[in-house]
Formats: sequence, C-alpha cells, structure tokens
Amino acid sequence: MLPKLDPLLHSELRLAVMSILSDVDQADFSYIKKQTDATSGNLSVQIDKLSAAGYITVEKGFKGKMPCTTCRITPVGIEAFKNYVKALKKYISVGK
Amino acid sequence: MEQTNVQNKEMTAQESLDLIGEMLNNSRKSILRTSAKYFTMWGIITAISSLVIYFLWHHTGNPKWNFLWFVLPLVGYLIAWFFGKRDAAIPQNLVSKQLGKVWLVYCIFMVALCTALAFIAPNYIAFMVILLLGFADCISGVLLKNWPVIVGGFIFGVGGTVSLFLIKGDAGELIFLVGGIILILTGLIINRQYR
Repeated sequence: MLPKLDPLLHSELRLAVMSILSDVDQADFSYIKKQTDATSGNLSVQIDKLSAAGYITVEKGFKGKMPCTTCRITPVGIEAFKNYVKALKKYISVGK
Repeated sequence: MEQTNVQNKEMTAQESLDLIGEMLNNSRKSILRTSAKYFTMWGIITAISSLVIYFLWHHTGNPKWNFLWFVLPLVGYLIAWFFGKRDAAIPQNLVSKQLGKVWLVYCIFMVALCTALAFIAPNYIAFMVILLLGFADCISGVLLKNWPVIVGGFIFGVGGTVSLFLIKGDAGELIFLVGGIILILTGLIINRQYR
C-alpha cells in the first residue's frame, strides 16, 4: 500500500519553503520570497501553517532599523520532509 | 537565475520532486554566487597589492615594503564587511560555510606564520604564503567538486613555491600577481558553474 502524502507538504508553496530551508541554517523572509516569487501575504500564511505544525520556527527581530523575519527548519520538519520525499519516490516507482 | 513563481496548487509526485530539486538548485546557485564574489574580491586585492609592493621595492630597492602585506587582510576584511552587509539576506549552506572556514584558517595561518617568520626567516614568508594559498584554493575546489579550481590551486601552490627558488629578488613578488589572478579565476569559474 502506498504511504499517505503529508497534506501540509503536498502544497507547492509550502514544499518550496521547506526545500529551501532544508539546505540552509536559516533564511530571511525576503530571501524565501525572492526564491519562490510568492506574494508576501500568501507566503506569510503558508509560513504560519508550517510553524503551527512545528516544522519550522519563525523569529521576528530587527536588522538595524529594518524588521526581519527569520525562518529555520526544526528536527520535526526535517523528519517530515525526509518521509515526504521517501513517499514521493514510492509513488513514482509504482507508477513506472 | 531562473525564477519560479510558486503557488498553492496540488501537484503530482513527479512535479513535487521536480520542485524540490529546482528550489534546492536555485538556492544553492544564489548562495555560491555570493561566495564567488569574495574569491574575486580577494584576488583583485592580492593582485593589486603585489603590483604596488613590486613597484615600491623595485624603485626604492628596499625589501621592507613587504610589510605592506600585513595591510592586505585588514583592507580585505573591511571590504568583505561592507559586502557582507549588502549580502546579509543570503543564507549560508554547508558548502559556503566550509569555504568560509577554509579561508579563515588560511588567513590565521598566514598572519601567524608571516609574523613569526618576519623575525626568524623573512626569506621564507613568500614560500609559505604561496604554498598555503595554493592549498586553500585546492581544498575549495574539492568542496565545490570543481576540477579546474583543484588543478589551478595545485599548480599554483607547487609551481609557485618551486618558482620562488628560481626567481630572485623583487621579481618574486610577481608570483603573488599570479596568485591574485588564480583567485579571480576561481571566482569567475564558481560564478559560471552556478549561473
């Protein structure tokens, strides 16, 4: 039986955010926005959902006088991301 | 860089895997292109310094102009700090962090060795700097999995050190010009690799 895909990750923008964060220590909101080309509002909503699930942590602070939001993937997020990729590979291997 | 507009749509398994690959790839390109900028910057500073010191030494006949090399890390770090402020939003990944550490260790070794050798064996300073520069460039190539950088670092480190035995006096200073050019080329190669 095929594993169930994590519904939280099976959305384009949330998956893009998790992919970026999986490769770096932490990333600014502005960097993620630039990489995904998403709107600020949409990105904020998706980041909040990932944060509520415990997949990422969000830290709001200041860089000089500018507000700065920093996101970081958590161990729970890394595990979920790994399991999601494993599940995707199973779906693809069955489809072949 | 190719920009991907990401929405909230549902995807097939293949589309999801493709998106993960694309995001990782684009992010790595941004990060390593930033690292490339620092290679080029240090290369330009080294090349200019070698020309200035060669010119001063050649025209005054005084090898004490070599002490100007101690100004190089100071100038370099001031410029790097300025660039760093502009690149503050660019995160660090494993490779960019390792590259930073390799070159930090190089700088620590270079300053410590130059300071020690300046008192006991000033003639060996250039050998050490060139050998370490070639070594650090070679390790950078290994981290980047880039053969031209590995070979360039090796040729410069070994060839440059051997050449210093053959070239006497102020002309040896120009070996550092080659070192600067090697760093600039490394920056350009990384930039091309991750364009």
